[in-house]
Amino acid sequence: MTSLHKPARSAAEGPFYRAVRNELEVFRAAARRGLPILLKGPTGCGKTRFVEAMAYELGRNLITVAGHEDLTSADLVGRFLLKGGETTWVDGPLTRAVREGAICYLDEVVEARQDTTVVIHPLADHRRELPVDRLGISLKAAPGFQLVISYNPGYQSVLKNIKESTRQRFVAIELGFQPVDIETEVVAHEAGIDVEPARALVRVADAIRKLDAAPLQEVASTRLLIMAGGLVAEGLSLRDAVESAIVRALSDDPDTVRALGELVDSILPMP
Amino acid sequence: MTTHDAKSPTRFRFLAAHLAGRSLDVTEALPGEVAHTDGRVVFVSAGRSVSEQRREVLVQSALVGAGSLDHRLVKMVRGRPNVARRYLALEGHRVLAELAPRISLAAALCPAGEPITSTADESLRVARGPKDVAPPPEWFGVIRPSRLLGAPAGGAGAETTTRDLRLEFGTTDIPESRDDADAEQGTASRILKLFENPLSSKSLSDFLNRLFGNSRTPSDGMAGGEMPVRSMRRVDRVGPNARPLPTALRFTADRAPSFAVGVGGALHPEWDVHKNRYRPDWCRVIDFPLPSAHDVSAAGVRHDEVLRRRLARLGLGPKVFRRRPDGDDLDIEAVLDLSVDLRSGHSPPEHIYLERRKLARNLGVLILLDASGSATESDPDGLSVHDHQRRAAATLALTLEELGDRVAVYGFRSQGRSAVHLPCIKPFGHRFGAGSRARLNQLQPAGYTRLGAGIRGAGEILKTGAGTPNRLLVVLSDGLPYDYGYEARYAEADARKALEELRTDGIACLCLSIGASTPTDALQRVFGSASHATAPALADLSPRMDELFLAALRELAAPKPRGFRPTRPRVCSGLQR
Repeated sequence: MTSLHKPARSAAEGPFYRAVRNELEVFRAAARRGLPILLKGPTGCGKTRFVEAMAYELGRNLITVAGHEDLTSADLVGRFLLKGGETTWVDGPLTRAVREGAICYLDEVVEARQDTTVVIHPLADHRRELPVDRLGISLKAAPGFQLVISYNPGYQSVLKNIKESTRQRFVAIELGFQPVDIETEVVAHEAGIDVEPARALVRVADAIRKLDAAPLQEVASTRLLIMAGGLVAEGLSLRDAVESAIVRALSDDPDTVRALGELVDSILPMP
Repeated sequence: MTTHDAKSPTRFRFLAAHLAGRSLDVTEALPGEVAHTDGRVVFVSAGRSVSEQRREVLVQSALVGAGSLDHRLVKMVRGRPNVARRYLALEGHRVLAELAPRISLAAALCPAGEPITSTADESLRVARGPKDVAPPPEWFGVIRPSRLLGAPAGGAGAETTTRDLRLEFGTTDIPESRDDADAEQGTASRILKLFENPLSSKSLSDFLNRLFGNSRTPSDGMAGGEMPVRSMRRVDRVGPNARPLPTALRFTADRAPSFAVGVGGALHPEWDVHKNRYRPDWCRVIDFPLPSAHDVSAAGVRHDEVLRRRLARLGLGPKVFRRRPDGDDLDIEAVLDLSVDLRSGHSPPEHIYLERRKLARNLGVLILLDASGSATESDPDGLSVHDHQRRAAATLALTLEELGDRVAVYGFRSQGRSAVHLPCIKPFGHRFGAGSRARLNQLQPAGYTRLGAGIRGAGEILKTGAGTPNRLLVVLSDGLPYDYGYEARYAEADARKALEELRTDGIACLCLSIGASTPTDALQRVFGSASHATAPALADLSPRMDELFLAALRELAAPKPRGFRPTRPRVCSGLQR
């Protein structure tokens, strides 16, 4: 649920991210000012990777918390635990980020209950402090602390939506699927395959994304393409890789799988 | 979603949609017909192999996507089969060659050689000219100008027209049937008219007016001028929000009061959209236990795991759990116990936290099942809408009961406004046992659908019987209200109004249309204000049933209209005072 990435500065290169628009500049500017950021975009379009790349570039720790519907404010802030007959306070991931001056990335924050998201309010405005009521203190955020939340408007429903008062504290960056050429490059790089099969994969994904009124809940994401590319790199044929990593991953309905298979078959190069 | 045969050409629908750039259906043509399209559906030749059908779909949908079958172009080849064939050969070749770089299937199938033409217009010009054109391969199919031009451009056209026609009947000009003559249109006025002398003063009729306390009949006599101003006063017009309360009916069964045998009833108002007012005490709604032979063999109810899991997630009130292994805060009492235990040499598990979770449900649900004759139309599997709805009701009731909610199941049907029946299948107090299940499964559709009255009646039962703070009415209906003098716009408006009333009273409503083929916009008109969903079977809705329930319950949080106070409009004339 929570992970701590120590940026490996010694490594030759950081996480690979290809910017499409001005998102790098916006993030850098917001980071200099310590402004919180809201990332929007469909599943698997590179939101997490973007944050990782930025944390690496800025040389800060990245603490990731995945949102789920039972996430309570204690899960974020911390709680008392019992250790050998005494209670000890254990910082939650958010408190740790506030103390260390790290980037705290709350992934899919909409999934969490709305009363939970309220604890980030004082951190996300000019106060930049985290009240910890169980300790009776208020922590001032260390320089370098930055809050990033992500949110997938695709799931949008009446129930899962960000509160207006939360939204309006954030600088919004919208990420989408990249243009064909850039996405091809990303898939080729990440999966370690040639440009040609990568281009075929992207073309398949593009066709699926543009399907009119398809009974699919989600379209093929860049992440799926990279997975398929990985299978290709391991020696599977392009068709088999697409079948397992994309077609069957997208739907359970045999009818839809068959129809997707026909579409994919006609687009992929003939064997 | 129904599973098609693996060989069925619907498997090409995504391919066709991709090539055409819009949604396109694929189906088999009649035996003996060659492949063609009408712009919305691609017909492939019947009984061919999959690969042959695939290339037929490829050409036809690529032609649609490239705009080669636009009305403008097709008109030029109408009635000239020879030109049409030459045009098809040229265009087919051209669009396949154009697709070849993107679609490898097109590249593999494209006829050899460069296409002669580069635009559709050029193809048409060459096709009409004298130049030799090789005939198209057989799998190109044909262009059918009559079908292409005959198909309406904007999708489901036929349905709209029939519905439009039906809507015209909904105007006020239609004389109401004998049964439904408006009781308020003062019957005495016709007699009054006999006393009226258009030349003299109206003292006599005024006197009689005083005597009978009747106001002017809106439809009789001439409007305005002739009548003194005071007789125009309409005191029975109360505020726009006022609605008549139902009048309870009392029955006496042999020597026992009605509630002892479970019969209840009331006269409910009905909303008249044309006059923009309520008709008080208009529908007699009666609920009674449904007698049936106990046949346990008919008591099978299908379980739905997904539905169960989804509905189990519905937590409506927060609850604090003590002595949990994990939680937000320490449970001081448990910590004390633990330290006592530790110091006295025990090592109990460290369950010392308080956890807050939304768990208290306190939900009462009434499932109202459409048992009218309109629900008898059946689908290809031989299951009628009624069967679908009955099964859905059984599964829902079973699941909710297992989850500890208070559930009741009622059917509803009507024969005119004086006989709206709510046969009780399972009242709130009873278990959903074999008897209730058998009753539900033996419920036979009959009669008509006076939806608004049914909803009001069920709401009344829910108010008095549920006994829980959260109340939900689930209406299972095909969304086609119809009864004597109850149709089209009038019926839709009344049903909508009934749902609004319930929500004002703090009862959530969820309308499910299962297995019915009612168009979505019709459902929108009937169920418009409430949460509603439609699906071929309950299982299609199960994965999001929790959201539907929550959305319905959440609507109650919306502020109520201000100044609302249900009052009984009293019919009295200003002349009486």
